Amino acid sequence: MFSQRNHIDIVILIAVLALMLLSLGVVYSASASYALAKYGESERMLTSHAIKVLLGMVGLFIGMRVNYRKLQRLTKPAVIVAVGLLMVTLILGGEAKGATRWLRFGSLGFQPSEFAKYALLFHLCTLIAVKQEVIRDFKRGFIPMMVWIGMVTVLVMLQPNFSMGSMIFFLSLIMLFIGRAKLSHLGLTFAILLPLIILYMVSAEYRLNRFLNFIHGGGDASGKTNYQLWQGILGFGNGGIFGVGPGESKQRDFFLPESYGDFVFSIVGEEYGFIGTIFFMLLFLMIMYRGFRIAKVAPDIFGRNLAVAITCAITCYALINAGVTLGMFPTTGLPMPFVSYGGSSMVFSAGAIGVLLNISSQTDLHPRAREVPVVGSVNADEVNIGKVY
Amino acid sequence: MIMFFAVVGLRLVQIQIIEFPKYREIAQKQYQSKIVLPAARGTLYDRSGNVIATNSIYVSFAADPQLAVADARAIASKFSNLFGKPKSYYLEKLRSDSRFVWLERQVDVRYLKKINTKDLEGIVVRYEPKRLYFHDQVAGQLVGCTDVDNNGLAGIELSYDKELRGIDGYVIFQRDGLGRARPSVDYPRVEPVNGHNIILTIDMGLQAIAEKELRKGIEQNKADHGLVVVIQPKTGEVLTMAQYPNVDPNKFGTFDLQDQKLRAVTDVFEPGSVFKIVTASAALDHGIVVPEKRFFAENGKYVVPVSYGKQRTIADTHPEGWLTFQEAMEVSSNIVMAKVSDLIGPERFYKMARDYGFGIATNIDFPGEAKGVLKKPIEWSGTTLNTIAYGYEVGVTPIQIVAAYAVVANDGILMQPYLFKRETDGSGQIVREGKSQQIRRVISPATARILKNFFEGVVVHGTGVPAQIAGVKVAGKTGTSRKYIEGHYETGSYTASFVGFLPVDDPQLVCLVMMDNPRGSSYYGGTVSAPVFRAIAERFMNTSQMFVPQDTMGAVTTNGGNTVRSSKRIQTERAVDEKERNVGYPKGIVPDVKGYSVRRAVGILMTGKFQPIVNGSGTVINQVPPAGQPARPGTKITLICQPRSSVALNIN
Repeated sequence: MFSQRNHIDIVILIAVLALMLLSLGVVYSASASYALAKYGESERMLTSHAIKVLLGMVGLFIGMRVNYRKLQRLTKPAVIVAVGLLMVTLILGGEAKGATRWLRFGSLGFQPSEFAKYALLFHLCTLIAVKQEVIRDFKRGFIPMMVWIGMVTVLVMLQPNFSMGSMIFFLSLIMLFIGRAKLSHLGLTFAILLPLIILYMVSAEYRLNRFLNFIHGGGDASGKTNYQLWQGILGFGNGGIFGVGPGESKQRDFFLPESYGDFVFSIVGEEYGFIGTIFFMLLFLMIMYRGFRIAKVAPDIFGRNLAVAITCAITCYALINAGVTLGMFPTTGLPMPFVSYGGSSMVFSAGAIGVLLNISSQTDLHPRAREVPVVGSVNADEVNIGKVY
Repeated sequence: MIMFFAVVGLRLVQIQIIEFPKYREIAQKQYQSKIVLPAARGTLYDRSGNVIATNSIYVSFAADPQLAVADARAIASKFSNLFGKPKSYYLEKLRSDSRFVWLERQVDVRYLKKINTKDLEGIVVRYEPKRLYFHDQVAGQLVGCTDVDNNGLAGIELSYDKELRGIDGYVIFQRDGLGRARPSVDYPRVEPVNGHNIILTIDMGLQAIAEKELRKGIEQNKADHGLVVVIQPKTGEVLTMAQYPNVDPNKFGTFDLQDQKLRAVTDVFEPGSVFKIVTASAALDHGIVVPEKRFFAENGKYVVPVSYGKQRTIADTHPEGWLTFQEAMEVSSNIVMAKVSDLIGPERFYKMARDYGFGIATNIDFPGEAKGVLKKPIEWSGTTLNTIAYGYEVGVTPIQIVAAYAVVANDGILMQPYLFKRETDGSGQIVREGKSQQIRRVISPATARILKNFFEGVVVHGTGVPAQIAGVKVAGKTGTSRKYIEGHYETGSYTASFVGFLPVDDPQLVCLVMMDNPRGSSYYGGTVSAPVFRAIAERFMNTSQMFVPQDTMGAVTTNGGNTVRSSKRIQTERAVDEKERNVGYPKGIVPDVKGYSVRRAVGILMTGKFQPIVNGSGTVINQVPPAGQPARPGTKITLICQPRSSVALNIN
């Protein structure tokens, strides 16, 4: 029943499972004080997170079991559903901190943007594979892809969720690039979009403030708007090399807001120290390395593109989240995949990893497998992954 | 992308390894707070156990405006009612952005009962100890003072700061981001160790008497300032260090530093005639003169040839012809002393002055002692020997002078003057005992006997006659020195001093009275300072159990006042204004009435709104509660009295 079991990339599987299990401890510690204050029981958010971890594992299992080739036919409906959901969210969605990002079904809520991200990226993989012949043609190749990218990005940004929107856009461009779209087309897109991006940033005060804070404060100011960032850095610093120990975090006691969410990495740094943060980073590094390796030996272009898309989505999120908590980027609302408290990111990221594992299971671990292209004419070697990243 | 990982890694190294100590400190400050549990500063007592300085606990109210939001109005109106300030005053503070504002500082503890802090959220209560000096300005300079954090700043508070201060304890509190605190489980509470008590050799009763009499003397003689030092010659214990104008350590910060010095140890002056003790000692101890040896006093003007044909005149206030050496001391002839110094010679003179302790600090346990100026013979000019023989070209401190006269009273042995009698811990256990310490033999017992004789003569028929006390043999020496101001000796600006001891046969105390720049009818030590000496000595003899004269005729106040002097004294005593009598004892402090007649004592107590209860009749020999204790108006004060004749008998 599970004939390709032997070929699953066990390193990625272990790394992801490790992140998910470690997240239980970290989220519990980071959320205990808040949960106690809000719900009267410190385990409340742990329970909720554990359910999400379980859902994530289910997602991972499903992704792993479904032959990724079957996805090719599903990507178009998926992205259409995603656009629909984003529209519904804009109209009906629940507010969280000034943005409508949530759709609720009873007690269950999820972020359509997480789904939209993977739907779009997957669909781009399909388009690149299918339109291989015309991809360098502006009208027949580039424009149709940009239409999908533009729709999703704009809808996400309208929520408004600038960081998520720009991440989706950025990842899409990467896909176009490795899909060998014309560089001039990409350059043109940038030239048109840059003024728009600036306009967008300036349009909302909090975004401008965040940005200005980042430029001026450099992450060291303890001013009010920069408070969260400063407390995040304090968390890392307080941990030192070995950390203050599991469950001993002080920053979680209402010093660091949302310590269980986007800033959970700071709690990792405080409780487990440099050892802990480096270990987490190494896990993501592993995922990246093995992910690109899978892309390299993928049996077809669609598989290769999928592997790149998934690997980039996971690792870029992890890196940008880490960079934000460390004061190297302006504060954004990006979670750390598998670690931050939050169901949508957990489930969809895990599902994506499942797809990646499915691809890995269909490759021959021997390098010569690459020499037999299955679909399309592009040899994987021509994709210079190293150059891009 | 690998680069990206590397950058994140490097940033982690920077924050978590390199800058770790900095962040750890900031974070700890954020989530830990140290609440100091102040140690109680030790109590200061005088030699008979009267409290000089102790602590009172005051309470301070503060608030955390972030927690007091709901109750802000209630708090403001409560405080407004209690302290009489407008509500808006408190509301403004309660609406501030900070997390800690003082509402009222160092107020009486009874306010704590009136403010139910449990009902009002956000109120913080702090107990703050504050030093309280029971005797206000009495011994102000000697006792010194502390700053708001109870650190000794001056005087005894400074010299025994280490013993008095104790060790503060603390509790580490852990706070969360909402400001809620709970005691940290990681750090145990460290209890404070209270400071030790210091018992001084000072007699506060005598100190108060001395200050009162000194003040009277200064006012009568229009002097700038003055001081009194009393020590026990046989032990070196300092009984009194009075000074006027004085300062009240309770009002720290309101007086200037110049007034805060204890001049008896910090000020150097040219002693004048009181320094003749050195000349006489050297001459007698080396057998250069005998008391009967006669000198010609040049009828008041002695022209001394100085090198290169110049000459110099030494003058006496009272011109005399031929005098024995003893007579020359009694009338304080500068000319004879100059002549004798030539016989002594620089080396022997210098050695004697040095042996008496001049030019070296006495090492009394008090901060800021000056050592005075005593030049070595090699630095002397041609005239120094003659000049120093009658007390010029030398700088001494009052405590050095007193210690030197104590040598004569103590049969020739120099004692270390000291203020520290005992150190006890919180339970009253003795930690350390002050010890009487001999420094050296300065003169032979025989020389000491002759000098005693000389000094007695000074009081009997010399310059010190105003120091006479009926029935007690008093010995002493007067000194009137011109002040050296801006390079020359100023006519009309004098230091008038009298130093003496009594009773001569078994000296119990040595007392120096000095007044600076008296501008009244007279400026001589004998006429200005000697009467103050007498008044202090009399009061002391009446009140002190220490004083047990050997002489059976030594009754201080004889039955019925049958000598002229004593009856006169009683009359003047009665004439003294009641108010003035109570100088040094402000409202709410029991006055010292020991040694007074019952009628006077009752009068004084009534003025202070106390309720006297008389036991017996005659003179007050004891009082309960003792002088210096704080008491509310209406407090009953029991006076134990004995008829005057039996006081005398008692002394015997």
